[in-house]
Amino acid sequence: MDVLRVEDLRKSFRHDMSLRRREVLHGVSFEAIAGEILGFLGPNGAGKTTTIKIILGLLRADSGDVRLFGRPAGERAVRARIGFLPENPYVFPHLSLIEFLEFCGHMTGMRGTVLRARIEEVIWMVGLESSRARLKTYSKGQLQRVGLAQAILHDPELLILDEPFSGLDPLGRIKMRDILVGLRNQGKTIFFSSHILPDVETMCDRTCIIREGLIVRCVGIDDLIRIGESRVEMIVRGCPPECFDTLDDYLESKNSTGDEFFLLVKKQDYVRTVVQVVYNSGGEILKIVNQHPSLEEVFLNEMLSEFKQSRVKTPEEEHTFIGF
Amino acid sequence: MMRIASIAHNTFRESIRERMLSIALLFGFILMVSTYALSPLAVGAKQKIIMDVGLAAISILGVLTAVLLGSTLVHKEVDKKAIFMILTRPISRLEYLIGKYCGLVIAIVTMMAVMTGVMVVMILSGRGQLTPAVFAAVYGALLETVVMGAVVIFFSTFTTPILTMLFSLGIFVMGSLSNDLRIFAQRYGGEAMKLVTGVLYYLLPNLQVFNLRHEAVHDLHFRGIDLLNASLYAALYCSVILFFSYMIFRRREFL
Ligand SMILES: Nc1ncnc2c1ncn2[C@@H]1O[C@H](COP(=O)(O)OP(=O)(O)OP(=O)(O)O)[C@@H](O)[C@H]1O
Ligand SMILES: [Mg+2]
Repeated sequence: MDVLRVEDLRKSFRHDMSLRRREVLHGVSFEAIAGEILGFLGPNGAGKTTTIKIILGLLRADSGDVRLFGRPAGERAVRARIGFLPENPYVFPHLSLIEFLEFCGHMTGMRGTVLRARIEEVIWMVGLESSRARLKTYSKGQLQRVGLAQAILHDPELLILDEPFSGLDPLGRIKMRDILVGLRNQGKTIFFSSHILPDVETMCDRTCIIREGLIVRCVGIDDLIRIGESRVEMIVRGCPPECFDTLDDYLESKNSTGDEFFLLVKKQDYVRTVVQVVYNSGGEILKIVNQHPSLEEVFLNEMLSEFKQSRVKTPEEEHTFIGF
Repeated sequence: MMRIASIAHNTFRESIRERMLSIALLFGFILMVSTYALSPLAVGAKQKIIMDVGLAAISILGVLTAVLLGSTLVHKEVDKKAIFMILTRPISRLEYLIGKYCGLVIAIVTMMAVMTGVMVVMILSGRGQLTPAVFAAVYGALLETVVMGAVVIFFSTFTTPILTMLFSLGIFVMGSLSNDLRIFAQRYGGEAMKLVTGVLYYLLPNLQVFNLRHEAVHDLHFRGIDLLNASLYAALYCSVILFFSYMIFRRREFL
């Protein structure tokens, strides 16, 4: 069942001081399936926040449809089942943490001792202390945690988070990730936007990539692994160019720089054969890299589509060094 | 109901914790106390002056605070995006607006009550007489503020604080004069003038009906039915204007 379904969303904004409108979403469609963590990835200005605001009814789409739990977005009963963490959450500076969460709880119909207990619980979960200090004294990362606390306060079935990792220190990130994965394991659905790839990669079941107001690709973790099985990069040195003649069926490509060759082996299974040929012709192997395309790579490829054929290396790549 | 109450409570708390309200209070206090120093007059006259200044202070500071406080009320939350965390909860925009309005009214009524308390103490300590007309006048000032609060909320749903302030004060001034203007126009004006003042008279709040200060100071007779009518008028005017505020706010996008 999809918890969130977005269909052909279009949205334009008016330019300041003119009547012309510029379309920033050109038909965004995707869906979040119950119980998954769906990442929403895209560069600055791609339209992530705009899409999220439309889903939540803070903006109106020009056309298109948003369904939450199979119902039209904007129904009050639907909103009770959603938790939202805005981008750079601003909270009321004149309130203390407890007062703020009580206020949020009241608006979702929670009260009394149940609310008090739940507030203590979420404060503990996000790693804050229940202090009496006004929220205006909180740091950016602490406010981010306050924002998460208010989003999960009423135990919503669907969490929508706009850049949840921004402003968090490494420990805070791990905590955020653990909380989100924990909620997913309880069966909640999580939809979050980000441009921090490792965060997305390590916890998302699926990722939708948006670019200039269009979803260019949705990939699942399974897809990544499947692609990853197919290729291996090798760098070899000191063998005559003719020795690769017999390997045409095994190699996807070969390039040379000086006496070094850059080989792209089609399959993991072929590596043994290629290695043997290289040794037999007196060459040596400098490097073998298992080409596991990271999400970053998929992402960058989508972003730089004109370079789609070229490989972009990243530190996230799984490197296998064989020293000689 | 609970949601409206919690919005109102939060608004009230915010107003209390900000300095605006205390500054207005201080100002009113100084005004009233200064009458002591400025009036070396006979006992009776002194009481009248205290009453006159006190009631005027309550009325004008009430309206001013409503305008100053109210003009930033909605805008601040929209601007700082705190409203995202409110409107994405199961609360309707109508409830939000009513909650904001109630919070504003409660904050100002509290302030006016404190000022009335000060005035009463001063009158009594000077062995003056508290007549029902004094309380009627305070009640009138209250109604006026309540109406002006709704006007402020109306503007704040679609313009900036500065414009809200200007529009609201404009309405306050014209609303205080609209009756006089209309009478003036009917006596001396041409047809167009009559029409304009007529329209203004019905469109703007007629704030003169809330002004009972003259009666209070001179201990004149006032009619209960007038108070009742004024109350009904205030309630109707507020409802209508809050309804229009909602119609605007309902369609509003939050960037
Ligand atoms: N109120 C607005 N008026 C005009 N243009 C806007 C407005 N809000 C957003 N845009 C434009 O819409 C596009 C998408 O903006 P959006 O905030 O959705 O991007 P984003 O993906 O959230 O980016 P970021 O990663 O920086 O948060 C941008 O090009 C932006 O300039
Ligand atoms: Mg954004």
